[in-house]
Amino acid sequence: MREDKEMKYWMSLEQWKNDKTFQKLAGSEFVSPPFEPESGAWDRREFLKLMGASLALSSLGCLRRPAETIIPHIERPEDQVPGVSNYYASSYYDGGEAFGLIVQTREGRPIKADGHPQHPINRGGMSARAHSHLLALYDPERLKTPRRNLFNKEKTNKESIRAFLDEADPAIVNKLKEGKTALLTDYFPSPASWEAMSDFSKAYDCSHFVWDPLDLTAHAQVYKECFGQALVPQYHLDKARVIVSVHCDFLGSFLSPTEHLRKFSLSRKPQKDMSRLIVFESLLSLTGTNADERHMIRPSEGVNVLWIMVDEILSLKNSSAYSKLRAEFNKLKPLKYEEQVRKTARELFKHGKNAVVLAGDLSHQTKDHHSLLVLMNLLNHLLQNSGTIVDEANHYTAWSRSRPSIENLIQELNQKKIKNVIIHRTNPLYSYPNADQLSSALKQAEMVIYTGDRMDETAQASDYIIPDHHELEKWGEWEFQKGLHTIQQPTVRPLITSRDFEENLIVWARLGERGPRRLREASSWYHYLRASTAERGLSWKTLLKEGFSKKETSPLRQNSFNQNVLQTISKKEKEKNWELVLYTTAGLKDGRLANVSWLQEFPDPVTKICWENYLCISPSDARRLSLKEGQVVELTVLNVTQKVPVHIQPGQAPHTLGLALGYGRKGAGEIADRVGVNAYPFMSILKNKRVSAALSVQLKSTDKVIPLAVVQGHHSMEGRQIVVETTLKDYLHDKSSGIHKHKIFSLWSKHDYPREKWGMVIDLNSCTGCGACIVACQSENNVPVVGKKYVLEGREMHWLRVDRYYTGDPKKPKSVVHQPVVCMHCDNAPCETVCPVAATVQSDEGTNDMIYNRCVGTRYCSNNCPYKVRRFNWFDYSKNIKTPAGALNPDVTVRSRGVMEKCTFCIHRIKSKQAQARLKGEKLKDGDIQTACQQSCPSKAIVFGDLNNEQSKVRKAFEEENAYSLLEELNTKPAVKYKTKIRNNENKYGHGKGHNKGHS
Amino acid sequence: MFQKYWNRKLTGLLVIVIGLTLLCGFIYKLTNNEITLGYNEGYAPTQPIPFSHQLHAGRYQMDCRYCHTSVEESRHASIPSLNVCMNCHLNVKLQSPALKTLRQAYEKGEPIQWKKVHLLPDFVKFNHAPHIKALRGEQNTSTAYLKSCQVCHGAVETMDVVFQKESLSMGWCINCHRQEDNKEWLNQCSTCHY
Repeated sequence: MREDKEMKYWMSLEQWKNDKTFQKLAGSEFVSPPFEPESGAWDRREFLKLMGASLALSSLGCLRRPAETIIPHIERPEDQVPGVSNYYASSYYDGGEAFGLIVQTREGRPIKADGHPQHPINRGGMSARAHSHLLALYDPERLKTPRRNLFNKEKTNKESIRAFLDEADPAIVNKLKEGKTALLTDYFPSPASWEAMSDFSKAYDCSHFVWDPLDLTAHAQVYKECFGQALVPQYHLDKARVIVSVHCDFLGSFLSPTEHLRKFSLSRKPQKDMSRLIVFESLLSLTGTNADERHMIRPSEGVNVLWIMVDEILSLKNSSAYSKLRAEFNKLKPLKYEEQVRKTARELFKHGKNAVVLAGDLSHQTKDHHSLLVLMNLLNHLLQNSGTIVDEANHYTAWSRSRPSIENLIQELNQKKIKNVIIHRTNPLYSYPNADQLSSALKQAEMVIYTGDRMDETAQASDYIIPDHHELEKWGEWEFQKGLHTIQQPTVRPLITSRDFEENLIVWARLGERGPRRLREASSWYHYLRASTAERGLSWKTLLKEGFSKKETSPLRQNSFNQNVLQTISKKEKEKNWELVLYTTAGLKDGRLANVSWLQEFPDPVTKICWENYLCISPSDARRLSLKEGQVVELTVLNVTQKVPVHIQPGQAPHTLGLALGYGRKGAGEIADRVGVNAYPFMSILKNKRVSAALSVQLKSTDKVIPLAVVQGHHSMEGRQIVVETTLKDYLHDKSSGIHKHKIFSLWSKHDYPREKWGMVIDLNSCTGCGACIVACQSENNVPVVGKKYVLEGREMHWLRVDRYYTGDPKKPKSVVHQPVVCMHCDNAPCETVCPVAATVQSDEGTNDMIYNRCVGTRYCSNNCPYKVRRFNWFDYSKNIKTPAGALNPDVTVRSRGVMEKCTFCIHRIKSKQAQARLKGEKLKDGDIQTACQQSCPSKAIVFGDLNNEQSKVRKAFEEENAYSLLEELNTKPAVKYKTKIRNNENKYGHGKGHNKGHS
Repeated sequence: MFQKYWNRKLTGLLVIVIGLTLLCGFIYKLTNNEITLGYNEGYAPTQPIPFSHQLHAGRYQMDCRYCHTSVEESRHASIPSLNVCMNCHLNVKLQSPALKTLRQAYEKGEPIQWKKVHLLPDFVKFNHAPHIKALRGEQNTSTAYLKSCQVCHGAVETMDVVFQKESLSMGWCINCHRQEDNKEWLNQCSTCHY
């Protein structure tokens, strides 16, 4: 029994324990009773009465349809055809992650952002956040106009009036002329904007300070100390054979996850040279779930691990250099898992140039961060992977700049050296740990100007709020990586009265008649930008046409390692009873897009919880403290105390706690406010360096229990063959390894598919579980957001879900697998046979169609669906939490209450491509039609196409031996197949005794 | 007493029989598309400008596509933007009182709000372009286009005020789509509903 349990795949602790709550959930199809009254209770009788009345009314209403109007243009723009989409190349940047976009617009409004298929960073891949920033454009809570806060002397009142720019500008310029000004921004890598800022600084004697919650300059500075140049290199993970990550979630949050996901999956092709990922981490991160080998260490132990690796590699090299370092090392306390680390080091050494060590992401900035990064650089230097994996020439430019930090600004404000502050792209009163200090310092300033787009934390303390355009309304140009210039094109005219931040600088320089001529005399930001790109030798036409331009970078040779740095290495962090890690999530990240409902309902890739941040705790600690899932605890770090619910996270290192940043906003809007707690105040600043990990905390449990909105916990698949996992060795021996075959006897006659038959193959081995597809689908198909209350009742509407299963003991799961599940479009679809009104039917192109207008809401189909992919509109969710009408895709029906819905294989895309082909008289080619999930997948795990075409990619993948159908034994004949997940390790996988080979 | 009782029973029976006959007749006519319910047939709203198709498309034989420009490339045939009207009306009928609204709107830059005549529910996805292509076949004369438009819109060139000629009901659509001789004409649910 015990052994069987070890093998089994489980998705929640309740399932592992097989306790009553789980059994209840698994037993019932719908989590909550169908007619749970919302507030004013309706009894059955009253409901019938109302139904009768509304039926009578609606049938009368049918006699005359509602009158609609058509409003044509005065003069139609040349390239705009009603009903036909236009596409513009643009770009997306939010803290580290940056890439090219293709924005789809319809009748002049952007409706979807997709990855730029040729852009060197993402090659068409997307992230959940990049999809979501489109919705922020239509956020009803953006300020409609510039505002002015009228303060009393103590700056306590909050009267806010509309500001008119032609009145405000001269007043601002007068103030600017009076005294010194400070610019406070983040490290956004836009060369032209930085030029404008430096020009403006010359005009008004400004100093530039930075507060960037996603700051990676520490990496660049340590790199400078080691090799002489301040830069964060690019990592060509596709060329790696061994990747070791120490406290570095490079697939989820570090640097450029979308790019890493793409490159990582390239190295994971199941061949002999498939890469191996070894992870040492404290919390279970997305990277950890993809590891072949995962070791749990405390946040403070990162330095030890790297130090052991260095020691082992040096001893393997037999080199006498670094003797001092090794002597220092011998003083360290030996670790209990030292042998495993040494083994890893030997593996690294074996692969030399093709191995890489990544360490220390934002969430793991301990007091030893500096030492950790030095050791990482030393390791990579010893491996000599510069030029193969570590690419200095094409480094990320954002972090090479260095400006004084916000602490200096606070100091100078308090000394009254600075009179005016202009804040752009950063919201320090939310994201700066000592916000109180900053807030009182800002009160010393005579004028604070903020370019944020809403009345958020910083806006409330500013005199003028002049909203900057949204990224999709703005001209811009980015240099994400050295030599890679990407255009940012406006895709819509500004929806609110906003003005470019850079335009502000130009106007103020012009009015004050100060500053360099190119700033003062620029007629607009657009002209300044064009001049700036021309000066730097970039062709504007190429930028517009291609979306980006890539200049060859001269190869940078890594200088020899500066050994003096090694003297600074030390281990300051001591082991503590509790070590708290403040981490960024793939959804909310630093909290900038917190008011986007898609992101709030985006389930965390690992915990699958949404609408909340929570304190992750390891199962053994939870048992020790007898904490329950969702139980509220009082968390105290130094003098900050907050109440947070607990989430028991399998695979988390004991004595470690994790809390996500980005929640607990005030003033961001109706959606973000009062969701979760703000974790920034827990961070501490030591000598201008932030410490976000290994924070010492005190825990006090309370009696209160808050239910956490987990999206996986219902929709159980009852432990049948769902995910197939095998090892590389077994796979190379037998491609079908791990797949359990059934002999199927069918009563059904075959369907006839005379033209195309659409099908999909999802490669679990490429899929990393990042969840970009979930939001891609949501954006494409007008999928509503339901809110925490209804997620708790199991009524979330995501058409595509990504399931996550653990194997083994919760304390140390053997592996974690992600599995995207869409509608299987079964040939013998169980849903079709039970629909009393034939609202769901098989088409002759192999899709299982859902006809909304025919559906009467019996929900039989959902009961009969073995894959649990059908979603029912219990209420008018699209009206409940509104997706602003502008962001809706006009090609997809907005479903109403009482209607079943599900994945359609993006049938509107199929239809539109077919119609286009028919108009041109051409035949569709393989790959012409892409589903939204496929298009946005950064690791290209999804293949879609025509199964009747023998040459198509999907047909070939469908017939491969490592492809299997979900619940094949039910004879549903799904049009979606999965490919086995392959691990590069020596473990044993399977579904328990006697269930590995097929039977007849 | 006896007679009265029978009278009552007979009357009741008669009422039921007549009722049933009427109902059967009604259903028969409904299924044969002789009666349609709630389909807006004949709907002819008054438009903000008394534009006459009879004059433009009938008497002057203007090509349908001169105004409905996107009919061959888009879902929507599209209503012309005002500058298309003004191509002629900057020179023609300058003083006409009927065109006052048009001139004013153009000068002020305010769009005209036309009443939609052929209104399909949101869950029906109709695409003009492939229909025109299929209906006109290889011919590309003005008349060929006019004829293909007429299939659904009726003889627009004779209408002074445009009205909905056909029921635009699903049954009416299907009647064409299920013709045996043309298998390219799809008749899946998802052809129109998604």
